[in-house]
Amino acid sequence: MNAVTPQRTAVPAPVGLLAELTHRCPLRCPYCSNPLELDRRSKELDTETWQRVLTEAAELGVLHVHLSGGEPTARQDIVAITQTCAKLGLYSNLITSGVGGALEKLQALYDVGLDHVQLSVQGVDAQNAEKIGGLKNAQPQKMKFAETVVALGLPLTLNSVIHRGNIHEVEGFIDLAVKMGAKRLEVAHTQYYGWAYVNRAALMPNKAEVDRSIRIVEAARERLKGQLVIDLVVPDYYAKYPKACAGGWGRKLMNVTPQGKVLPCHAAEMIPNLEFWYVTEHSLRDIWTNAPAFTAYRGTDWMQEPCRSCDRREKDWGGCRCQALALAGDAAATDPACSLSPLHAKVRALAAEEAAENPPDYVYRTIGSNVRSPLKEEAPL
Amino acid sequence: MNASFPTPGADASQRLLSPEELEAALRDIGARRYHNLHPFHRLLHDGKLGKDQVRAWALNRYYYQAMIPVKDAALLARLPDAALRRIWRQRIVDHDGDHEGDGGIERWLKLAEGVGFARDYVLSTQGILSATRFSVDAYVHFVSQKSLLEAIASSLTEMFSPTIISERVAGMLKNYDFITKETLAYFDKRLTQAPRDADFALDYVKRHATTPDLQRAAMDALTFKCTVLWTQLDALYFAYVAPGMVPPDAWEPGEGLVAEAPARGPAGAPAGTLVASDVPRLPRGVRMRFDQARDKHVLLAPERTFDLDDNAVAVLSLVDGNRSVAQIAQALAETYAADATVIEADILVMLTDLAQKRVLER
Repeated sequence: MNAVTPQRTAVPAPVGLLAELTHRCPLRCPYCSNPLELDRRSKELDTETWQRVLTEAAELGVLHVHLSGGEPTARQDIVAITQTCAKLGLYSNLITSGVGGALEKLQALYDVGLDHVQLSVQGVDAQNAEKIGGLKNAQPQKMKFAETVVALGLPLTLNSVIHRGNIHEVEGFIDLAVKMGAKRLEVAHTQYYGWAYVNRAALMPNKAEVDRSIRIVEAARERLKGQLVIDLVVPDYYAKYPKACAGGWGRKLMNVTPQGKVLPCHAAEMIPNLEFWYVTEHSLRDIWTNAPAFTAYRGTDWMQEPCRSCDRREKDWGGCRCQALALAGDAAATDPACSLSPLHAKVRALAAEEAAENPPDYVYRTIGSNVRSPLKEEAPL
Repeated sequence: MNASFPTPGADASQRLLSPEELEAALRDIGARRYHNLHPFHRLLHDGKLGKDQVRAWALNRYYYQAMIPVKDAALLARLPDAALRRIWRQRIVDHDGDHEGDGGIERWLKLAEGVGFARDYVLSTQGILSATRFSVDAYVHFVSQKSLLEAIASSLTEMFSPTIISERVAGMLKNYDFITKETLAYFDKRLTQAPRDADFALDYVKRHATTPDLQRAAMDALTFKCTVLWTQLDALYFAYVAPGMVPPDAWEPGEGLVAEAPARGPAGAPAGTLVASDVPRLPRGVRMRFDQARDKHVLLAPERTFDLDDNAVAVLSLVDGNRSVAQIAQALAETYAADATVIEADILVMLTDLAQKRVLER
């Protein structure tokens, strides 16, 4: 498993950088992709460091920068950071909740060359949306924000994370995207890591609901061709094959956390014994090429059966390492979301069982919470 | 149902009105009670309803439309005179049509389909509010049980409808992007039909309401009919505007819908299909740049990167928001000494593909 020798010439450059500028966020979504242990403001990288990271990213071959968080506009220097992207020719994508200070910074972001806005919407019905996001009066702010994005002429993507609390609203999300003038809609079924893993029983939809949502999206894609592009992320637990996590481990993306730790994917910190490097100590190129966390599961040499001899091994790259750890207890196992995994039937049964029960209350995302991943204490399956 | 209560202030109406005074009194009822005054209709006309609220209206109102010929048939059955029947039966023809696919009910179905409903779901009336059913049934019952004069007088709301219809067409077309002119075809016909119907009915009432009691009965009948319409909007408002209490079994947003027809561009082609005269441009958020690390040109777009070959780069370099597709083809034809028509056909395919992915606009 650790026999991978980094082959410097063979590592293709990353195309995307997910810059998690801060973990601060006015919303408290129970499926947040941030880790359970959130970085505090005092640990965040300063403006100059981010600008250096972006410069290194551009030199390394990164094309897209996703300015994310937390809520990226919670940082006062979001405009300066966006401007740096523009100067470097990096495509800047603001991934925002649209609440807090987002609206008031929008014009300045537009002026310095922001390329695209991805706005999260928790629900269509305001009451439901605000229950999920854990923030009162968020919905009207989001709608106003979306309107302003479109009025400025910026391309808008709506991102809806789907779970049992809003899966009945999939059609509504589509209507909303059309109404708001969004060009893209992401109908992204929850991926169960981080906070979503803790809240899995409260979030897991049943198979019939999932199938229905997929049918609705497929019909809408046809009907709205040329008007709205809809990207669909199907829920892993009900899938036949796993998704190529982040386009394959260490192949396309790198993720920099608020305090400068560089991850191959946003959930990678849950895997024990992985050694992560920091932008404050290494150059981005060095990290991409040599950091143990990146080389650990890059390529196919680390794979076990059934992945090792599978025809799809360079399509889905074994699926998600974090999910393999969470469900199979081994980060190098085949992702149990794959129908070829010996654990797949159990995963499906587990999902069906949870979806059939009354949902427990959400455990809302909170900085400084005592919530710990259940992984460390319990046998995963 | 047939209990009769004393009318307060009946004394004041004991004088026989002249036909003109009667008409004025009837028009006054409409001016005060016709449903164009209802808050729900105000919201509808002003474009302040959401798509689902417009759907709820279209669905419920279908039941009213569907029962109108039943009501008129009940009235027709009681008309003793062939000349009158010939006139009245025209209403049934208007609504039912002469053949499959014709008539007012069909046009209302088109409206309901236009806002997204499955035809069968609308036909089943299973999602309508009980209050809609009760009101409409009460109207049919009224017309079959009351005197012929009262039955005919109850149809006089048509005197007020041309205004509201033109308001509705204009208001909706202006305010709802999901309502098309085809969807509103119903109203084009009603603009001419309603006045014709109303003229006859008004004339009949004026000639036959020959005593104070009969005049009072005619006015009450019209008031009753206004209430039938008003109550339906009360129920819609209560269920779908505020407080938003949808009764059990009534339609909930999302039910009974089908995939809509694909959006069409001005030329009738699917949205995003380009023609030679279109002037394409890359919108904000889509940029072509050279990718040094990979030694090739790429098109950067929201969450996506397109690898570009030399041909694509040559075309996109000329996409500037000023040149038409034909002009781009012409320029390329000159540069590469090739046939402009062949190039035009090729680049239309490429540019249409990008337009459908929402990374190119015209």
